[in-house]
Amino acid sequence: MDNILEINGIHTYIGQFHILEGVSVIARRNAITVMLGRNGAGKTTTLKSILGLTPPREGTVIYNGKEIQGRRAYDIANLGIGYVPEHRAIFRNLSVMENLKIAERKKGDFESKSEFIFGLFPDLKRLFRLPGNHLSGGQQQMLAVARAMVADNKLLLIDEPSEGLAPILIEQMMEAIRILSTTTTVLLVEQNFVMASKLAEYYYILDDGCTVREGKMADLVEDKELIHQFLGAALQKGGQA
Amino acid sequence: MRLGFFRRNATMLVVLGLIAVLGVIGWTTMGQQPFVRTTLSGLTIGALYFMVASGLTLIFGLMDVLNFAHGTMFMLGAYLGWQFYTNPTFLFGLFPLIFALLAGLVTSPILRSTFMHLNVSEKAQKTIQTAVALAGIALIVLAVRGLDILGLAETAMVATMSMGNPLAEASAQEPLAVFWFRPVLMFLAGLLLAAAAARPGDRTQVVYAGDKRQAWIISGSLAVLTVTATLFRESAPNAVLLWNGNLRFFAALAVGALCGAGLSAAVEVSLIRPLYIRPLYQVIVTLGLAYVLRETIQVLWDPLAYQMTRPPMFSQPGKAENILAWFSGQNLTVDVLGVTFPSYRLFIIVLGVLMVIALSLLMNYSRLGMIIRAGVQDRTMVEALGINVRKVFTIVFMLGAGLAALGGIGAAPFIPVQPNMGDAFQLQAFIVVVIGGMGSYSGAAIGALLLGLARAFGDYLALKFSLSPAIAEASTVIIMAIVLLVRPAGLFGKKE
Repeated sequence: MDNILEINGIHTYIGQFHILEGVSVIARRNAITVMLGRNGAGKTTTLKSILGLTPPREGTVIYNGKEIQGRRAYDIANLGIGYVPEHRAIFRNLSVMENLKIAERKKGDFESKSEFIFGLFPDLKRLFRLPGNHLSGGQQQMLAVARAMVADNKLLLIDEPSEGLAPILIEQMMEAIRILSTTTTVLLVEQNFVMASKLAEYYYILDDGCTVREGKMADLVEDKELIHQFLGAALQKGGQA
Repeated sequence: MRLGFFRRNATMLVVLGLIAVLGVIGWTTMGQQPFVRTTLSGLTIGALYFMVASGLTLIFGLMDVLNFAHGTMFMLGAYLGWQFYTNPTFLFGLFPLIFALLAGLVTSPILRSTFMHLNVSEKAQKTIQTAVALAGIALIVLAVRGLDILGLAETAMVATMSMGNPLAEASAQEPLAVFWFRPVLMFLAGLLLAAAAARPGDRTQVVYAGDKRQAWIISGSLAVLTVTATLFRESAPNAVLLWNGNLRFFAALAVGALCGAGLSAAVEVSLIRPLYIRPLYQVIVTLGLAYVLRETIQVLWDPLAYQMTRPPMFSQPGKAENILAWFSGQNLTVDVLGVTFPSYRLFIIVLGVLMVIALSLLMNYSRLGMIIRAGVQDRTMVEALGINVRKVFTIVFMLGAGLAALGGIGAAPFIPVQPNMGDAFQLQAFIVVVIGGMGSYSGAAIGALLLGLARAFGDYLALKFSLSPAIAEASTVIIMAIVLLVRPAGLFGKKE
């Protein structure tokens, strides 16, 4: 199977609001796929729907050939899906070490991965014993990505890794995600088009809760009109980075 | 490094130092004997406060559930443990009914997956739910009608009167040929209540895959438990009564705590879980629950105060010369630094200290503790890491209520067992949690110690200067006011 994840026409409601009205996304194994779209297009909700945090009411989510929609979120995560949420969601009252340890699915996960993690984010080694709330935004973002790497995840869902980061940190984050993608599949949500276009191989554009365009990133970069039509505002915001 | 230790534990050291200074002043002005006696009784009260407050600091401090039924758990633990100790027939006679009811209740997810697709108009949904629920309650009433277990509750009173080595009798129960329909009715009642909870016709509900299978497993095992409990309901109490009194007492501690934990698990899953986002409703639900449970207890045992006898190992006549001598003599009292002190109260102090240690190890060094601390801050993220947060929260709630129930049965041999025995402890526990800082167990330990000592010394001073004993009760509130003036977040609380 080339596709580790296939989302077919999912509909998700939050309360009585119909947020996703038919989103279809495919993540190809060991590639970086990015979801683009304006604010409120449903990108974050799509990630949450995959994980079952906002379970879809219709449509299917197929992971490794199995339908996983309708399962509990922890159950889905345990299939090997890591999640880096928007705004990082670091546990403030836990130390950096505990933030990483808590992501273990079996004993020793962290020990076996620590070298790789500290290789990608050397800062974390220095901050190891500090509580999470003493970290800067960039450090928290690194910790959030590192946390998703502790367990043996086959698929990483990363939501806006560049959000609020200084340009130099964005470079570092991109490098880390690129290295990650050699061993796992990454499904990315990113507003920063420059970053997205440099990283991703495939793209999907979401608009108003629907998938409206998809294809290879290389083609999208050429298609200025399409970019303008769906990503205009977003491009201006993050475009200079 | 060493300086870091002092800085990190500055509050703890200051408070302990303050207590030590006051202690020295007390020792010199009061004289040795009154001082030691007052300190020991302060420690006893403090240990009890801690048992209630440590559970509350988990439930209220960490999980932010305003649980006004916490003192009720203390009371229930005392009643159930006491019953197990003196008259186990009651508990064993009740188990089949409770297991049967639960076996029916947990089928809710199974029923939901079919019932939610029924074609019921929105208006009819409410009516049907109410009707079905009422029918379920009616079945429960039918199931317990004329149950002679209710009479059994009163025989406990007789059993308590045999002092020394308390030997209760197992009362006769209904023969199986008469009894069998009660668990069956209870199971049906559980099914009806589950059907009401499944909200027939409401298609907006989400049924998770896996929940159904889990419900089958739990319901099945509960059904097996029901059958077992029904068959053994006569032989089990007799067997328990043949145990020696000490063993039965420690078993009663465990049974009281486990019953409290089990009941609170049911409460968390059914009543608290839907209300995590509505704190005000939690107050109403838990307050209502407290009243219902207390009234139930009053119906069963009348609003009387009972005295549970001490287990044999704390009730042999005479005085042990020191604590070591107590191990061989198992006397009623022990000589501590010239003061004659009941050995059972020393046991309570030890139990309290053991619980402080166990809890702080659990919270600070175990994976469960880590998950709890993380889950309180961000449930969703913990779940996204692959951890069953709902289960963890149920466990925490059970743990908290179990600790309160353990405190209750621990206290039963020296405070009267009566329906409102938990109220004062609940109030003090809330004060302890606020003094210690929300969600801090070391805070709860220090707070309980402070309040216990204040209480004991307040009583001493009131007696000495012939003041009103209300001054001892007020002292706890005064301490709270002072602590909150100096540290609005409590001694060990973190500023948000």
